[in-house]
Amino acid sequence: MTWVSWRLQRTETLIAFGILALLAALLIPTGIQMANAYHQDGIAACLSINPSKPVLCGNELGDFQQRFQALTTLANWFTLIPGLIGVLLAAPFILDLENGTYRLAWTQSITRGRWLLGKLGLAVVAAVLAAGALTLLFTWWRTPNVHINGRLDTGNYDTTGTVVIGYTLFALALALALGAIWRRAAASLTVAFVGYFAARIFVDYWLRDQLVAPLKATYKGAQQPNFLYNAHVLSMDGTVNGHQFSTAGGGGFLGGHVQSAAPGISHAIFHVVYQPESHFWPLQLTETGLFAGIAAILLLFAAWWTKKRTA
Amino acid sequence: MSEAVAIRTSGLGKRYSSQWALRDCTLEVPSGSVTALVGPNGAGKTTLLHMVIGLVEPTTGVVEVFGRSPRRDAKVVLPRLGFVAQDHPLHRNLTIAETLTYGRKLNPNWNQQVAASRIERLGLSTKQKVGQLSGGQQAQVALTLALAKQPQLLLLDEPVASLDPLARREFLNAVMEVVVDEGLTVVLSSHIVAELERVCDHLVTLAAGGIQLAGPIAEIVTSHRLLTGPRSDATSVARVHDVIRESHTERQTTLLVRANGHVYDSCWEQHEIDLEEIVLAYLGYQPGHGASTTMPLREAVQS
Repeated sequence: MTWVSWRLQRTETLIAFGILALLAALLIPTGIQMANAYHQDGIAACLSINPSKPVLCGNELGDFQQRFQALTTLANWFTLIPGLIGVLLAAPFILDLENGTYRLAWTQSITRGRWLLGKLGLAVVAAVLAAGALTLLFTWWRTPNVHINGRLDTGNYDTTGTVVIGYTLFALALALALGAIWRRAAASLTVAFVGYFAARIFVDYWLRDQLVAPLKATYKGAQQPNFLYNAHVLSMDGTVNGHQFSTAGGGGFLGGHVQSAAPGISHAIFHVVYQPESHFWPLQLTETGLFAGIAAILLLFAAWWTKKRTA
Repeated sequence: MSEAVAIRTSGLGKRYSSQWALRDCTLEVPSGSVTALVGPNGAGKTTLLHMVIGLVEPTTGVVEVFGRSPRRDAKVVLPRLGFVAQDHPLHRNLTIAETLTYGRKLNPNWNQQVAASRIERLGLSTKQKVGQLSGGQQAQVALTLALAKQPQLLLLDEPVASLDPLARREFLNAVMEVVVDEGLTVVLSSHIVAELERVCDHLVTLAAGGIQLAGPIAEIVTSHRLLTGPRSDATSVARVHDVIRESHTERQTTLLVRANGHVYDSCWEQHEIDLEEIVLAYLGYQPGHGASTTMPLREAVQS
């Protein structure tokens, strides 16, 4: 069954790893460039003098960020790649149902259970391998960015660590479950990809901060506590010169906000809600578990439905 | 294990939501027979075959293949069955060689030599992609896959429906060859009778989801007569024989009967009748030229 699964999944697996190869062709040279610039522009040196205070390295960072801005913007889209690879690897299974060739398999000498195990098992293995390669590549590429913006910066967080594997498995299993019912490859893959995107937005913008409770901090004046620099700021409000101001969502640097409020800053009081750097792994593991868990349920459903309902 | 009987069904039925595809099907297919499963489209032929191979779970009743349940004992039953589905599905992007590897990997009793020599005799190259073959060639490859499994029971669902006359002949000849050589049991379904007569020795007709007629073809043909005589009532004949169909013109009555013994009544002229016409009568068709009233009497069709 392994040969059979592999032969029928070969094209999709090669496309998936072709996408990875293209990505590597883009990321490896630019990653080397970025790592070199990080040292040559003196960012590394500045950050080592001012640990976790990138705001004090503004001059060095300015050049660097300007130079790689296009690339960083492009990199925001990379968060869709796990979904793309996941749904792609679901195609061979759904095509077997769509073309009626599952009947050919089921009337050979193997049981449905063995067939399902072979097909779904290999898809899962390929998805985990591809996602693993993806996360290694991104983690290496984003190293300078992680030093500057912290691991919890959205772009850094969702293309590194273990979540990439969870996302890929989720997209795969969602497509498999839809395909088991629908038996239309093109439609199932499209809807699963849209579903993947929707689930990611839901988690990014709302659910993540329910998984691990964020912390709160209050401070006075311009003296921002050190621990806030690499944190992921969810919201911040305060009063400066009698003017109320607040920001919500998509944090990053605190420096910018503080500097813009510079004149009356010493009288200001700030309230900040943030995810500290130390929450990276708890968040990653919880989110990975969530996506992988839903993927497992969807996978079992796809297998059950195919076994019981398909004839 | 009752090896004398290849397939045994009893009270077998399958319902899809509210519609019965097949009901109350009780049947025995003896080992070594070549059985034609005949009926109009939608009569439940495919459903019956799918239940025999275990693709479909019966709603009611029992199906046994060599004394085993094809669903519960799939591991034992499947290697003994060869099946070619109606549209003979194959992976179009595999080469013939890869298709044979597919069969070899999935079947413990696979005979590569049988497969390879059949492909060679068909004049096909193993490097050809299945998708590039003609419909007839694809059917032959699907049959090769089923035969190299070395089954004891071969099920063919409408094997020739999609083929042109020449490919039909070639396909049925290929089946016949194996039947003669290997002595395996074959069930093939079709909605056309004529071409099956040459190949089959048993017949089962299915219509409106139930069995109308089942038995050895020779017995069916000899027991059915066409009686013609002056216009009269069929009741006297029906007392002894089964009247399958009666039709009347102004001066003449024609009866198709399944005779229980001889028909002694001298006012009836007896004719032999061919299998196709018998089958059509059972299926409730009006064969040929202008019969005025036609009624299938036997086993009233349930709606």
